[in-house]
Amino acid sequence: MSPFDRSPPSSSSPSGAKAPGADLGRPGLRAADASSRSGSKSTPGSGGSGTFGGQDNSALAGRSLVRILCTAGSGALEYIHAFVTAYSVDHFRGAVAQRLSVGAYELLSNALNFGSVSSDIVLELIESDSVVGVRVSNEAIPARISMLTEHLLRLRTNAEQTFMEELRRSVTGGIPRPMLGLARVTHEVGLTLELHVQDRRISVTAQCRR
Amino acid sequence: MSHFSSVQIPKAETVAIQLTAPNQVKLSGTITQKDPSNDLAGFFKALHTAALADKLTEVRADVSGLTFVNSSAIRLFVDWATWVKNERGQRYTLRFVTSRNVTWQKTSFMALMSLAKEVLAIEQVS
Repeated sequence: MSPFDRSPPSSSSPSGAKAPGADLGRPGLRAADASSRSGSKSTPGSGGSGTFGGQDNSALAGRSLVRILCTAGSGALEYIHAFVTAYSVDHFRGAVAQRLSVGAYELLSNALNFGSVSSDIVLELIESDSVVGVRVSNEAIPARISMLTEHLLRLRTNAEQTFMEELRRSVTGGIPRPMLGLARVTHEVGLTLELHVQDRRISVTAQCRR
Repeated sequence: MSHFSSVQIPKAETVAIQLTAPNQVKLSGTITQKDPSNDLAGFFKALHTAALADKLTEVRADVSGLTFVNSSAIRLFVDWATWVKNERGQRYTLRFVTSRNVTWQKTSFMALMSLAKEVLAIEQVS
């Protein structure tokens, strides 16, 4: 039996099952607006703050079910992913759990590989009435933020084509190294990605309908 | 005993590997380690070499029980398909047996198919 085969709980309320550190609400995120995506002062990667929206251009605000802190360069990826996957299987229907599992892995992998060691990486599993998502935030250098912004723009423009390009680059190699992870998140499992930047701190959210 | 059946199976923490027929390998579990090529790249290459030595016409890679793999693992499947595609002499069809219930498999293997359709086949099971 697949670990994703488990039936969803009879109640969608996760009360009584909160992980340590769970909190309510999520300040600091807002819906994307035209100015924040237009390359003005608030464009991610250029300092200041900004939001690079996904398809629905809405930030995920809701209850934080799980909140985990870790450090860039640590070996936390596998066991955090295993926990988040198990938690998702227990709380969401199988298809949603599978999608969140891929999203959590790829977002956390990027943060662990490219995040600054000077501050915590925070992974959250968030739910609202209609949407669930995984959000990973970390600090990064401006060059990395610019690269991420550009990559998300390519994915937003054409996720399938970007996925295929990155898959081909997996064979041929090249610089920068292939970035298949986020392409998987958008194209393979169909999560909507949103990037929010506040100075050097970036938050990437991958979300879908429940 | 065939070369294929004699290939040494690597020990991997999260993935179970079985040679279930003279032309079939079955993988189940998850592949989450940062660099799975340490365990699996050599194994896949050995299977490829053995399949050529055995003059197999088809190799079945049953991945239907792989519930999650990371991007690095997908690259391993791409590499395997590329080895077969680049083979100049006698070559075999690499048939991936996938599950229609596992989300990541649907898109990834269809994409892989488009990269090497002359040597790949995809079979879906429930």
